[in-house]
Amino acid sequence: MNDFITSVKRTPYQSLGSFLILFFTLFLALFFFTLISFFHGMLSYVETRPQVIVYFDVKAKESDIVALKDQLEKTGKTSSVVYVSQNEALKIYKDMNKDNPLLLEMVSANILPASLEVFATKPVYLTELADFLRNQPAVDEVNYQKSIVDRLVSLTNVLRSVSVALLIILFTITVTVLITTTAFKISVKREEIEVLQLIGASKKYIRRPFIKEGVLFGIISGTVAFVFFYAIFFYFQPFLKTYLAGIPKLSIANLEQFNIYVFPPSLEFIALSYALIVFSGALIGFVGNYFATSKYIK
Amino acid sequence: MIVFNEVTKTYPTGTIALNNATFTVEDNDFIFLVGPSGAGKTTILKMILRQIVPTTGSISINNQEISQKKFDENEKLKLRQSIGVVFQDFKLLFDKNVVENIAIALKVTGAPKERIKTEVDEALELVGLSSKKFMFPIQLSAGELQRVAIARAIVGDRNIILADEPTGNLDPKTTWEIMKIFKKLEGNKTILIATHNVDIVNSFKKRVITVTDGKIIKDKREGKYEL
Repeated sequence: MNDFITSVKRTPYQSLGSFLILFFTLFLALFFFTLISFFHGMLSYVETRPQVIVYFDVKAKESDIVALKDQLEKTGKTSSVVYVSQNEALKIYKDMNKDNPLLLEMVSANILPASLEVFATKPVYLTELADFLRNQPAVDEVNYQKSIVDRLVSLTNVLRSVSVALLIILFTITVTVLITTTAFKISVKREEIEVLQLIGASKKYIRRPFIKEGVLFGIISGTVAFVFFYAIFFYFQPFLKTYLAGIPKLSIANLEQFNIYVFPPSLEFIALSYALIVFSGALIGFVGNYFATSKYIK
Repeated sequence: MIVFNEVTKTYPTGTIALNNATFTVEDNDFIFLVGPSGAGKTTILKMILRQIVPTTGSISINNQEISQKKFDENEKLKLRQSIGVVFQDFKLLFDKNVVENIAIALKVTGAPKERIKTEVDEALELVGLSSKKFMFPIQLSAGELQRVAIARAIVGDRNIILADEPTGNLDPKTTWEIMKIFKKLEGNKTILIATHNVDIVNSFKKRVITVTDGKIIKDKREGKYEL
């Protein structure tokens, strides 16, 4: 730690440069990681909603509907198909409107349509399933959330591609800046390095403090970026909560079992973000300084 | 034992730094290398450290040839870990204190902490700096800096001490104090001192190798400074 502080004091502007570029990269990395996680969470949430709802003609026979349900289940493209009979539809209707007796009057089961709630194994099957259902004789109406799911899928994909490309560019810039600043630090210590070489220090021994410094810079920058990001995040959280009212906890893929929720962020998700960002910082610091020392310490 | 056998060093510019030099240094010898500036004294020391390699001829240390073009990196490290170097300008690490400056010569060899502590204390005792062990180079006089450099050169298994103008930056009184330290090491280490100091060379009555224009023109036991 003393060597690190001495090095920072010796080359304050280069150290500040290393810190800022690492901070900026890691802050953006954390931002994109959270955003992508959020979109994945949204996608998972939408995918848990009935994706296709098929309403049948009120005169449709229950046996025909059940047969269609079986047919759908055999396609292998549905994860579940739920049959809602006319009586169940009435029950749902009554539950929804229990505070409004006027709406409950004159409504009986035989005017409400039976329906099937279809969940696809993959969003890409939605169109196919909806088209198939539209062509069935007893079907009155097919509602499905293709546009929402499609939009979320494409948005998540675009976001993922953009952030990966951006992070690769940022990573390259950061490593280049780190190599340059480390090269400067090596030149400042040239005489010291020469002495070490003359007394028999191995390259590994000479490189170690530079690499340690890079890793330490990565950890510190990652920590500051993390604190900064979550300070902003929690500042805006009340607004986000209002905006996303009605949406329950969002989790990535099947990480609910580990209590990893993106929104509102659980302690586990925050810890995961911290671990990832600090690890990334340390990795970038290591890579940058490893290349610099390989090139400039002969 | 150090053996130079018909060693010549020619730089790409055409300058001949050393010309067909042949000499042998026995273990625990005490030798002065004398000659005018640019004569080739430093070249000899650099070749022993394998900072530079000869253009022709061979150099061996303890029967190991060190002058071949390809030399294993680990062998080079072992070689340098067996040699202590003292420079005119001390070449200490200015952000480390006296103890740390000496300890680094042991640390690079991977010596355990206990051994480092014991050997550093012994070296400090030998050079008379025990009371200043935690001072930084900036707080020390030139003579004291050179004592630290000598202490760094003698710790560990460094049996060869190469000193390049070790008293070049010192006043006469301090020069003698430094030379007394070298005198104390006599018989335990092989010592090669490149110097211009006539008084010292003449008063020590040790082996003197005289180099002029890259050639060894004299090599005398109990020699004198004669050009």
